[in-house]
Amino acid sequence: MTARIWAIMLNTFREAIRNKVLYGALFVVVAANFMAVVLGEMSLAEEARVARDVGLAGVSLFGAMTAIFLGVTLLYGEIQKKTIHVILAKPIRRWEFVIGKYAGMGLTLTLLVVAFAAALAAMLWFEGLPFDAATAKAVVLGWCEVLTVAAIAIFFSSFSTPFLSGIFTFGLFFIGRSYADLSYAASKAKEPVLQTIAEIALWLVPDLHTFAISGGEVAGKHVTVHGDFVGWGYVAAAAGYGAAVIAVLLLLAVLIFQRRDFL
Amino acid sequence: MAEPVVSVERLSKTFRTAMGLKTVRAVRDVSFEVARGEIFGFVGPNGAGKTTTIRTLIGLIKPTTGRCTVLGAPVPSPAARARLGFLPESPYFYEYLTVRELLDLTGRLFGLDRALRRRRGGELIERVGLGEAADRPLRKLSKGMLQRAGLAQALMNDPELVILDEPMSGLDPIGRKQVRDLIIELQEAGKTVFFSTHILTDVEAICDRVAIIVAGKVDEVGPVAHVLDSSLTGTEVVVRPRAPIEPLLPATATLRHSGRDGEDEITITLGADVDVTALLVSLSQVARVVSVVPRRESLEDVFLRKAAKGDAA
Repeated sequence: MTARIWAIMLNTFREAIRNKVLYGALFVVVAANFMAVVLGEMSLAEEARVARDVGLAGVSLFGAMTAIFLGVTLLYGEIQKKTIHVILAKPIRRWEFVIGKYAGMGLTLTLLVVAFAAALAAMLWFEGLPFDAATAKAVVLGWCEVLTVAAIAIFFSSFSTPFLSGIFTFGLFFIGRSYADLSYAASKAKEPVLQTIAEIALWLVPDLHTFAISGGEVAGKHVTVHGDFVGWGYVAAAAGYGAAVIAVLLLLAVLIFQRRDFL
Repeated sequence: MAEPVVSVERLSKTFRTAMGLKTVRAVRDVSFEVARGEIFGFVGPNGAGKTTTIRTLIGLIKPTTGRCTVLGAPVPSPAARARLGFLPESPYFYEYLTVRELLDLTGRLFGLDRALRRRRGGELIERVGLGEAADRPLRKLSKGMLQRAGLAQALMNDPELVILDEPMSGLDPIGRKQVRDLIIELQEAGKTVFFSTHILTDVEAICDRVAIIVAGKVDEVGPVAHVLDSSLTGTEVVVRPRAPIEPLLPATATLRHSGRDGEDEITITLGADVDVTALLVSLSQVARVVSVVPRRESLEDVFLRKAAKGDAA
């Protein structure tokens, strides 16, 4: 079992690293970091803020965009290109294939986040700033978000075209990021029906705000990566939440994939 | 028959169109068996249901009704797939892989260790004639080369059963001959080969048995010779008469006169219903019988006739 998942994971990783778009994302993030140095110099004593904000946005935003780009074609592309016919004729189970594909994409995105974080660290070093614990926690949270977005994309990819999967995933990413605002709006809804609908919708949407908490509130306390930030306990809990969301999405993707005919 | 390697019992598959408003019955009540060690040809025109049947056997498609077993296990069975090799129609592979990487991936999926993957991969690359192209990305290979790469991956696990969907498709005559030879080699090595094709000369040349599928239904299953025997169209008898032969012949016989070495030679074409043995006894009293050739439909004739019948149905 593990050998087959490993084989699919390695192959998915190989496919991704031979994809030029990945290097495009890396180039854009490194260029953005370079720009951040320039912008930081132009700002008044805000070098640290600009550097961290731009670097972490690179991890979170470009990581999520790459996850969407790679994820929406991950399963559907196999069906459309019929490459799946050769693979599923081997003694591999469909769930092993889905998990292997996700693991390969997860490995790729993890290395990408490491590269983004290295670029951020280089920029901070250039500015004479430390890569402190708050930054490290924010990077880990960004990594969890990227992996969750990848799972959303692979879920949609199990039944939808890349174009529609891209729209759905981006939509969920956007709504998920606004989770705190939506939650607040739902609690303030005057109509009970609207409140119920909003609560159900919030149940269905992954709370991605959990991973992009800098500038928000945790237990009534303002947290920021530039000052008081969350502890490692919060990061672990957020990672656990992300793992649960990923597990549910992969389970749904597997269930859909199990039922499909591959024509 | 001993336990069949492939058994298809009353298989039907109905697809729904994209909106789910219409249904298409791709395969209807198909039954046949493939015995161990035989080369079995699955013949039918485009759209007859060959690929649907094969994909059902592999487990890519779920049957609407009916039952299939492969190597003794009900489909889908990963254990059975571990013992079979499959080449899909117009195979699509990960185009970023080289031939060697494709075989390595295939070997990993079969759980082969690294040394065996390397050894067997190398052997198969040479066997299918891709030695020069082994480290070239698949996107840079011709259709014929891709077909060979597909054959190599289908044999990576040294399978007991090889299922090939249109293996001669896209190959030039030399490539087709190589595939035919490979199929015969596989049979000699004790493997069972099940392949679909519409190139009927290949079927006649190498198959032990065939199933003819038309419009989703299996029209005939049996040994190639049997399928052809049942289609005897007549007999051609060439004689050199010493006396008039016409009174001995049935009214339906047609005659063609030709001269050879100054002697009259008559070619008599008889219908399938004529008792040729009795007629030859009579003819031999008044003529020298030069040759007797039974005329059968070629498999192509049988196939075209059945296809036309299927279209009309």
